[in-house]
Amino acid sequence: MNVRKIVTVVEEIRTEGGREVATPAKVAVVAAVIANPWAGRGFVEDLAPGIDAHASDLGALLAPAVLEALGAPAEAYGKAAIVGLDGEIEHGSALIHTLKFGDHFRKAADATTLLPAVEKRGPAGVLFDIPLKHITDATIRSHHQSIEVRITDAPHPGEIVVALAAAAQGRPQQRLAPLATEQ
Amino acid sequence: MQERTPDRPDHSIGLRKLVLYRDVVVTEAGHPPARPARRASVAAVIANPWLHSGPSADLSEAQARIAPVLAGLLTDRLIAALGPVEEIEAFGKAAVVGTGGEIEHAGALIHTPYFGNLVREFLAGTSIICFADTRAEAGETLTVPLWHKTHAATRSHYQTISARVPDAPRADEIVVIAAASTGPRPHPRIGDRTTDRTVTAASLEATPS
Repeated sequence: MNVRKIVTVVEEIRTEGGREVATPAKVAVVAAVIANPWAGRGFVEDLAPGIDAHASDLGALLAPAVLEALGAPAEAYGKAAIVGLDGEIEHGSALIHTLKFGDHFRKAADATTLLPAVEKRGPAGVLFDIPLKHITDATIRSHHQSIEVRITDAPHPGEIVVALAAAAQGRPQQRLAPLATEQ
Repeated sequence: MQERTPDRPDHSIGLRKLVLYRDVVVTEAGHPPARPARRASVAAVIANPWLHSGPSADLSEAQARIAPVLAGLLTDRLIAALGPVEEIEAFGKAAVVGTGGEIEHAGALIHTPYFGNLVREFLAGTSIICFADTRAEAGETLTVPLWHKTHAATRSHYQTISARVPDAPRADEIVVIAAASTGPRPHPRIGDRTTDRTVTAASLEATPS
């Protein structure tokens, strides 16, 4: 796995809607900018060898890093794969949509649910929003949220940005009725 | 570590949020740097205390009250993100004022001793601190310049880092940023003042290249 750079973003919201947030709301993202393993090879039919070579290593790199950046137990999480212009979105999906990748985060966070994801293709500096949901019950509405990320010089056309996001809580000032109240 | 500022200075400075951006270059141009640097910017979003106050308003009271709190808050976060202050080698600062304010309001928070002297002291530097400022809509990416904290002319440390808050500044807010790096650019090789030949228009005419 050829990593060019590791980017960390931590947002901490102190005030929302004009009111102080009782406990500062923290969301962290750690992204690895890597060379697309399938770059320059034309249409590769079988992605499994590349997945086997890289997906687990990426999960092992990013999962502890995002939890350390958050500095608190994760209550919600999500993931991203942003493919440079010369690649296929399928290449990004290949790296993140496998248990080999996600299980590192689930194990580290004591989580059970599937990780919500964003996959897209774009130029360096493309904006992307990572969706996050609760780590053990994806129907918990208070924890539906997203974080916006931009890396000015990534992904290059032959690169992929692979990222994990973790939140220490739900939305600041969350006050929607639970799903059960509508059933 | 012990924070220099109260844990929640939110009310006193109108703090809405803090955003840390950190990057570590693992390889550049296909090769690992000889001295890998950790670089970070920390942005604080605060309410503009001078909104609608007019161009003759005295900025000194709020500046003396708010800027020192920001200096402590931002440098604490930089040190927490980059490691001990001894490892921080370069620094910079910046501000983005929302469209309801004046660029002078951004300057009031970063261009006075209440901010600059304290950032320099907390990061154990001696250089003047290089800067960028602008007035913009929320989500503007600002490129923050950095240079060496004790030897500003050290060319290897001329570098920049981006800072961006997706939903700030609102028209009535100011984003104040401090940034730092633990080392030089990934592969610095453009010499220094000590290695430069003398270049003038006349010398270039004498030696065609």
